[in-house]
Amino acid sequence: MMITRKSLPRRAFLRGMGTAVALPFLDAMVPALAFGQAKPVKAPVRMAFAYVPNGIIMNEWNPEYEGKLTTFPRVLKPLEPYKDDLLLLGNLTHNTGRALLDGAGDHGRCCGSYLTGIQVKKTTVDIKAGVSCDQIVAKHVGDQTRFPSLEVGMEDARQAGDCDSGYSCAYTNNLAWKSETQPLPPILDPRVLFERLFGNGRVLSAAERARQSDYRRSILDFVNQDTRRLEATLGPTDKRKLDEYLTSIREVETQIDKAEKTNAQIDPHMEKPYGIPADFSEHFKLMTDMITIAFQADLTRVVTFLMTREGTSRPYRELDIADGHHPCTHHQGKADLIEKVTKINTYHVQQMATWVEKLKSIREGDRALLDNMMLVYGAGLSDGNRHLHEDLPTLIAGKGGNTINTGRRVVYRKETPMCNLHLAMMERMGVHMEHFGDSTGTVNLAELA
Amino acid sequence: MSAAPRLISALGAKLVPFQFPGQGKPSLGIVFDSDFGNGIDDVLALAMLNGFEGKNEARLISTSTTKSNVRAAAFCDVLAKFYSPPPPPGAGFPGFQRPAPPIGMTDNGKMAEDTPVMKAVLEKKSAEGKPVYARSIVKLNDTADPIALIRNAFSAQYDENCEVVLAGPATNLAKVLDYPGNADLIQHKVRFLVFAAGTYPEGRPDFHIKTDLAAARRLFADWPTPIIAAGQEVGAVLPFPGSSIEKDFAWAPDHPVVDAYRAFQTMPYDAPAPAMAAMLYAVHPDGYFKLSDPGTISVLEDGRTKFTPTAEGRHRYLVVDPAGKAKVIQTYVEMASAKPTVRAPRFRGGQKKNADPPKATDPPKKQ
Repeated sequence: MMITRKSLPRRAFLRGMGTAVALPFLDAMVPALAFGQAKPVKAPVRMAFAYVPNGIIMNEWNPEYEGKLTTFPRVLKPLEPYKDDLLLLGNLTHNTGRALLDGAGDHGRCCGSYLTGIQVKKTTVDIKAGVSCDQIVAKHVGDQTRFPSLEVGMEDARQAGDCDSGYSCAYTNNLAWKSETQPLPPILDPRVLFERLFGNGRVLSAAERARQSDYRRSILDFVNQDTRRLEATLGPTDKRKLDEYLTSIREVETQIDKAEKTNAQIDPHMEKPYGIPADFSEHFKLMTDMITIAFQADLTRVVTFLMTREGTSRPYRELDIADGHHPCTHHQGKADLIEKVTKINTYHVQQMATWVEKLKSIREGDRALLDNMMLVYGAGLSDGNRHLHEDLPTLIAGKGGNTINTGRRVVYRKETPMCNLHLAMMERMGVHMEHFGDSTGTVNLAELA
Repeated sequence: MSAAPRLISALGAKLVPFQFPGQGKPSLGIVFDSDFGNGIDDVLALAMLNGFEGKNEARLISTSTTKSNVRAAAFCDVLAKFYSPPPPPGAGFPGFQRPAPPIGMTDNGKMAEDTPVMKAVLEKKSAEGKPVYARSIVKLNDTADPIALIRNAFSAQYDENCEVVLAGPATNLAKVLDYPGNADLIQHKVRFLVFAAGTYPEGRPDFHIKTDLAAARRLFADWPTPIIAAGQEVGAVLPFPGSSIEKDFAWAPDHPVVDAYRAFQTMPYDAPAPAMAAMLYAVHPDGYFKLSDPGTISVLEDGRTKFTPTAEGRHRYLVVDPAGKAKVIQTYVEMASAKPTVRAPRFRGGQKKNADPPKATDPPKKQ
């Protein structure tokens, strides 16, 4: 690599024909004079929450040990190869998800309170929650990126109606809340997310999308000249990184095209939305590939990902499970239903494992992208059968910019508020607060086992 | 039997304090905080509360100890499990029983000593060498953060439908006041706090005060509801009769209260019981005690309390009615020796149209 005094700006873009494609973190962005200095330029820390609904079969999630992670139980097994990058937490509680005089509605409450720490108002009309922790961070760091935050989902972005015992669908179908009355609905359609990330923020109409598809041009074709110009200035490592990055964009484009073609052949009576793959894992991969690209290119540092809506009754035909997810979780101790839920839980973790592997494979300077992340995988309920809001299944993938001591299982004292974790995470994103939601302090993610 | 009553009777384990609309307001909730493991009167008070629960006159909604020793929490756990038997075998839906309520414990980083009271209960073994009394607390994270536990218990109550009985240092309750929104929450939910500590109008130093002077001062200065003190002088004139231990608790071949009582002091003895007086007043403020005129309780440097009458004061202390002493003792014995009762849970049915909804809890103020 040629070392010069000048470095490539972090906000450099590949440009062409009115299109701009952001660049990932390259060695060329590190000034020559920074090498060997006490404080080299670092990639930023990213925060993400991936949420699964309806609780988890906890005796297949919680290992029987504490301290160093070794063998994983069944549901977590797909993540075992990455145990050194994980922090498994126990006894975190959302008291604000409990009934607290409001009666039925654990699903509405648990999702509404998950990132807000607030007991949401029981209503289908005049919704009221609180500002979620991701949005507090987005407000703080969002001016440094193109998008303050991204909200991504895979199912049902309805914002109105009764989704759980008098609780609005706004509670079960959103994780992020910009204000106490303004949820931020997730983007479900991969095409829409792609165009948001790479299409100058414009969401194309169906006719415009069709016209673009007709031309069968990749967005990368528009920036081809700029790409060649940049490549000529890069060292071999950066050339490889750039090639991998642009390849991943092209792969996502191809997958979206393919999904849309496939969907076009599906019987419309199935009411498959345009652009959304029918297969869960394919949809998951598309969305997480784009989230990864968004992180790589520093388009955002804050993401919430609602894998399926809270309370979902989605069947998993991929697993030969025709029953709805939610009804299965009220298993009342029946072994066959517990087995179905365990399979669903494990399937979700399998998808996460592929994502973690990808994040781990991407280099940013001397670290992996995963090392610069805090990716929380968790649920707003622990035992979905009993609707419990304590010992919430919570796992952090990533070292938070080398501030988290991973490879451990840490069990806090009972009733420790989840908001204590949120405070610790916000601190790592540069937001210092004394209290958040129902916090009683913070948790130490860096302490040694 | 039809399905609904069978379900209700089957789910008999005592639950954490959920209150579900459609069944009316539940009985009074009691937050009980003490230095469990040190004395015997708080153990007797807990036993008495079980008796009141059996008559649906009160509910234990939170238990916490200020004794910084995991075995003290385990001691509380033994008592909680003894008084919360599981449902009958074969009853109800498997996997439907809610977990046992957590026990809060102050963690000051030091390990307080085991006491004979704790050892007598925790180390009692059967003929096969196994612990006689079930417990699930072994390490620190088996216990609950007492501040969150107490706050959460308040948040689940109807307005003015709970009280606090404090029979130890004020460490936990003073810290509860430190968090945003908790003072408001207490003001909405709690009728009053009964504090078994001090001597009134003034007297000798009290261990519960002296152990944490700052917390006691904070409590008397800032607690947002009235405080009723059950002084040592009340406990002294209304002791729990030791003779009751030998006969009224005999229904159980092994009884942790009996084992604890025998270990506390050489038998026979009558135990001064200010904590029992506090609990009795909390559940039945009318009919057993008189109250002093209003005033203000202050804490002196040597651990003494001093009561100063003032018309605007929010503090009072219990005054024993000599004519009512026998009635008090009889209630102590009857309630403390009561057997545990398997109570049906409050079933959370569907929302009823036009039902009068309970007043929603304002969430603690966020930052």
